[in-house]
Amino acid sequence: MKEGAKEPPGVTASSTLRAVSGLRLVGIRKSYGDNPVVKGVDLEVASGEFLVMVGPSGCGKTTLLRVIAGLEQVDSGQVLVDGKDMTSVPPRDRDVGMVFQSYALYPHMTVRENLAFGLELRKLPRADIEARVAEAARMLELAPLLERKPKALSGGQRQRVAMGRVIVRRPQLFLFDEPLSNLDTALRVQMRGELARLHRQLGVTMIYVTHDQVEAMTLATRVAVFNKGILQQLGAPLELYHRPANTFVATFLGSPSMNLFDARRDGATFVGTGFSLSATGDATGDVKLGLRPQDLLVSSDGPFSGEVEAVERLGFDGYAFVKTAAGPLTARFDGTLPVDVGQNVKVKPSGDVLHVFSPDGAKAHHHPEARR
Amino acid sequence: MKQWAWLTILLSVSALAEKPLKLWHAYRGGEERAIELAVKKFTAETGTQVELLSVPYDAFSSKLTSAIPHDAGPDVFIFAHERLRQFHRLKVVATTTTRVDRTKYFPSTVDALEVDGELYGYPLSLKTLALFVNTSLVTNAPTTTDELLAELARTTDATQYRYGLAYAAGDFYLHAPFVFGFGAKLFDESGRATLNTPGMAKSFGFVKSLQDRGFMPKEVSGALVKSLFNEGRAAMVISGPWFTGEIEKSVAYRIVPLPIVSETGLPLTPWLGVEAALVSSRTEQPEQAHALAKYLSLGEATALRVDPGGQIPAEIAAYERPEVQQDPIISAFRDVATRAAPTPNTLEMARVWEPMKLALRGVLQGDVLPDQAGALAERRFRALNRERPADANPLPFVLVALLAVAGLAVWQWRRRGPAQAFAKRYPEASRGLAYVAPAAIGIGVLVVIPFAVGISLAFFHHDAGDYSFVGLANFVDILTSKGYRITEPLSFWFTLAVTVAWTFINVVLHVSIGLFLAILLKDPLLKLRGFYRVVLIIPWAVPNYITALMWKGMFHQQFGAINGLLAAFGIEPVSWFTHFSTSFAANVITNTWLGFPFMMVVSLGALQSIPQDLYEAAEVDGASKWVQFRRITLPLLKPALLPSVILGSVWTFNMFNIIYLVSGGEPGGATDILVSEAYRWAFQRNEQYGFAAAYSVLIFFVLLAWTRITRRLSGPEAA
Ligand SMILES: Nc1ncnc2c1ncn2[C@@H]1O[C@H](COP(=O)(O)OP(=O)(O)O)[C@@H](O)[C@H]1O
Ligand SMILES: [Mg+2]
Repeated sequence: MKEGAKEPPGVTASSTLRAVSGLRLVGIRKSYGDNPVVKGVDLEVASGEFLVMVGPSGCGKTTLLRVIAGLEQVDSGQVLVDGKDMTSVPPRDRDVGMVFQSYALYPHMTVRENLAFGLELRKLPRADIEARVAEAARMLELAPLLERKPKALSGGQRQRVAMGRVIVRRPQLFLFDEPLSNLDTALRVQMRGELARLHRQLGVTMIYVTHDQVEAMTLATRVAVFNKGILQQLGAPLELYHRPANTFVATFLGSPSMNLFDARRDGATFVGTGFSLSATGDATGDVKLGLRPQDLLVSSDGPFSGEVEAVERLGFDGYAFVKTAAGPLTARFDGTLPVDVGQNVKVKPSGDVLHVFSPDGAKAHHHPEARR
Repeated sequence: MKQWAWLTILLSVSALAEKPLKLWHAYRGGEERAIELAVKKFTAETGTQVELLSVPYDAFSSKLTSAIPHDAGPDVFIFAHERLRQFHRLKVVATTTTRVDRTKYFPSTVDALEVDGELYGYPLSLKTLALFVNTSLVTNAPTTTDELLAELARTTDATQYRYGLAYAAGDFYLHAPFVFGFGAKLFDESGRATLNTPGMAKSFGFVKSLQDRGFMPKEVSGALVKSLFNEGRAAMVISGPWFTGEIEKSVAYRIVPLPIVSETGLPLTPWLGVEAALVSSRTEQPEQAHALAKYLSLGEATALRVDPGGQIPAEIAAYERPEVQQDPIISAFRDVATRAAPTPNTLEMARVWEPMKLALRGVLQGDVLPDQAGALAERRFRALNRERPADANPLPFVLVALLAVAGLAVWQWRRRGPAQAFAKRYPEASRGLAYVAPAAIGIGVLVVIPFAVGISLAFFHHDAGDYSFVGLANFVDILTSKGYRITEPLSFWFTLAVTVAWTFINVVLHVSIGLFLAILLKDPLLKLRGFYRVVLIIPWAVPNYITALMWKGMFHQQFGAINGLLAAFGIEPVSWFTHFSTSFAANVITNTWLGFPFMMVVSLGALQSIPQDLYEAAEVDGASKWVQFRRITLPLLKPALLPSVILGSVWTFNMFNIIYLVSGGEPGGATDILVSEAYRWAFQRNEQYGFAAAYSVLIFFVLLAWTRITRRLSGPEAA
């Protein structure tokens, strides 16, 4: 009798498995000596999701990823997979795959041996191993390199081997630690595309660590922003962009960074040093105002004025760095305008663009209506 | 200024005039005191200064024969007469034929100093063996072996550790009386050694049965004899005059001649050793030197020889002194000495010791049957004293050598490619050559010439200063194990097998222990890591001969720390050097102690160069610790470890110090490796330099082959 006949059509055994595999982190804390690195992180990752963890260097992303992999023991907290506590399960029993920042390819093995290593250890039949290696090699275009040692590969090729090593094992969970940071820009863009394609193709859960917001925005189904060991905000990339939970997220995402000014609510206006803007939302008293450079335009009039300190011309438009009474400000300008250093200019917001935060920046009071 | 100059001249002149005579001896205790007093008297009487030097007995003979020819030796030295012929051949002793008054000494003592009709040295004292009987245990001293056996049976109680007899049975000097008592002779009419005789077998059988029946303890040393006799646990002892000084006052004893063998009716005849004051052939002050030597042999000096020396004087007049006549020990030994036979001072005699010792120990340890021991000794004797191989015609060899050199030159020249004027290729050749010259000369003198001489020497036979060209005979004899079985320790193949096992076991232990410790020390969480590292490197930092001597002491059966430790766990003390396995193990333990730190240091360095994330990647890939070690650590260590393993194996292969100093090849040369064996052929077995050189050449080829093989092993990896 046939096993397959019993299964519902269109659903394979492995995809049923994946369908229930979710990851949950509960109150994860980790310090090195006296230095707390992860300070209580709660996080839930749905199956099939591409979660990007982003944050400045040294904020504990790698540490958290290693906790998920089981390479690091937590001080407190739990790692749950499908509701099962995996906190003290060693990495080899966790069914995770990890691509290291340094790739960590075995230098004494050929590419083929590197790919087959994990499968050999799991005692797969020879034929299966060969089939899987061949499949991964085809997917990652590694076929002509299979007999080479890592020494004889370029950075991008090594990166693909590191990825292949995880793919062949078909783990529930893929972990990437800044896999593209050692590549040049062009290669990075290409690999980004391939990663996205890979995620679609495999449909597995991926957790991806980076300090590069572009990678975060382009790859993620959801982004988790970290700072100083604390999860700042978790959400879809555009949601984070348009509705940052605090000034850290607001300034971290988006390039150039959001402008921030101290101001005070005075009736229907926000009054700051040398400017006033019509108020939105219902925050009162002292506030911090956020304005994205893309929403500010150098023009003949506007609430901000100051001297241009630097100019970045990008062709169609450009950014002017203006010294105002309220502090430095970055604003967009039309590429045809003759904006120059030393010139005194005025800057005008383009419509309802004001983000309002609490004065310490820890809370958001109001965001402009998202423009979809 | 002038005064200073005068003073210096005066000082140096007086120093020249008063250059003291140098006197070397190997005395200890009362004997040493006696010689010191005698020398003091001599100086008081003659005004000649004498500088005394006590040399350890083991090194004495070789020290003399190496120092005297280089004018670094003594003017007078004291030695037993057995070595006389050797000294004579090496021309280190001066004749005394015209100076000695033969009538003043016992005739046998003067006879013993004769070589080829010439006399050498002045007889001082005699040494021989007698039976010491504890009179409170044995009333009637046995006169025959049957009586002896009856007494032994009566006085022995092995359960109480009481023995009838105790003597250093493993020493051939003490066994010789039995050889003669059972009618055997060591040499035939022509003076050739005949060791495989029925009498010899009987003598071995008799002594073995004494030991097997528990009449005497096993593996007896001099120290044990002393303590057994003093504690009343040994009723009788066979020993010499020196033993009287070791007996405690409370023990009542008599000294009697050794008994007569009931079976043959012949007495157990001990050797008579004559100690003589010998004058160096190279002394700068012959008159004073002869005066000193003569002085030591007569009159006052003889009296001191008796007391405090406790020696039996060779001077006849000494026995007229009342104090000598009253001394029961001296008169007893004088009595014994009349029945003793002087030890032959022939070269053949000197060559009998080692084979006989081997056979005797083999019998006593039960490795060799008494009636086969003689054959073993004889075979050993023939092997150690190889007959000179037939002379070969050197011409073909010279031709081959010349052809080889020419061929090499041509090959080298052809390899260079199209000929080009040397001066054109190297326009500044002369300056370049000047730079290269010092190194080239150094290599030539220190490496090339010794190498060439060593190889040439392998084609010669050396016998007492004469070299004869014998072609390939040395190699043929070595490779065919001529004169001994392939399974005997003397065989090249046996020694090669031991050497390979030695090397293999050592390197495996060094690497595994070194690697194990390196892995432990690598752990960053380990406290006091730096301290452990330093401690573990210490064995490597200590000079290896010091380590070897320390371990040798620790393996000592009675006083060694290791047996002490075993005893603490209730384990019987192990006699480490009497069995191959334990002796070999002792060597291996010592060398492992010496060898693991190097491998540890190398491994540590190599381990630290393996990135940590490889282990993490492997862990995520599903590798256990063991798999990580096997699949990641080992392969990545290989490039760093393999050269060290090759180096270590060559070092170990030629690790002379440990073998020589720890086991010394015991038992019976079985634990010797190729280098130590080559050394013995050169310096301990009649100076067979050619044979030893052939050994060295073979060692060279073995190691050459080994490096070829290992280069193949590491070749692809290195590429
Ligand atoms: N093994 C370690 N021992 C001590 N401190 C560490 C260790 N690993 C990381 N850290 C520290 O923890 C902090 C977070 O490191 P990491 O997680 O690697 O940051 P990120 O990956 O976000 O750049 C850093 O300040 C780093 O110095
Ligand atoms: Mg990191």
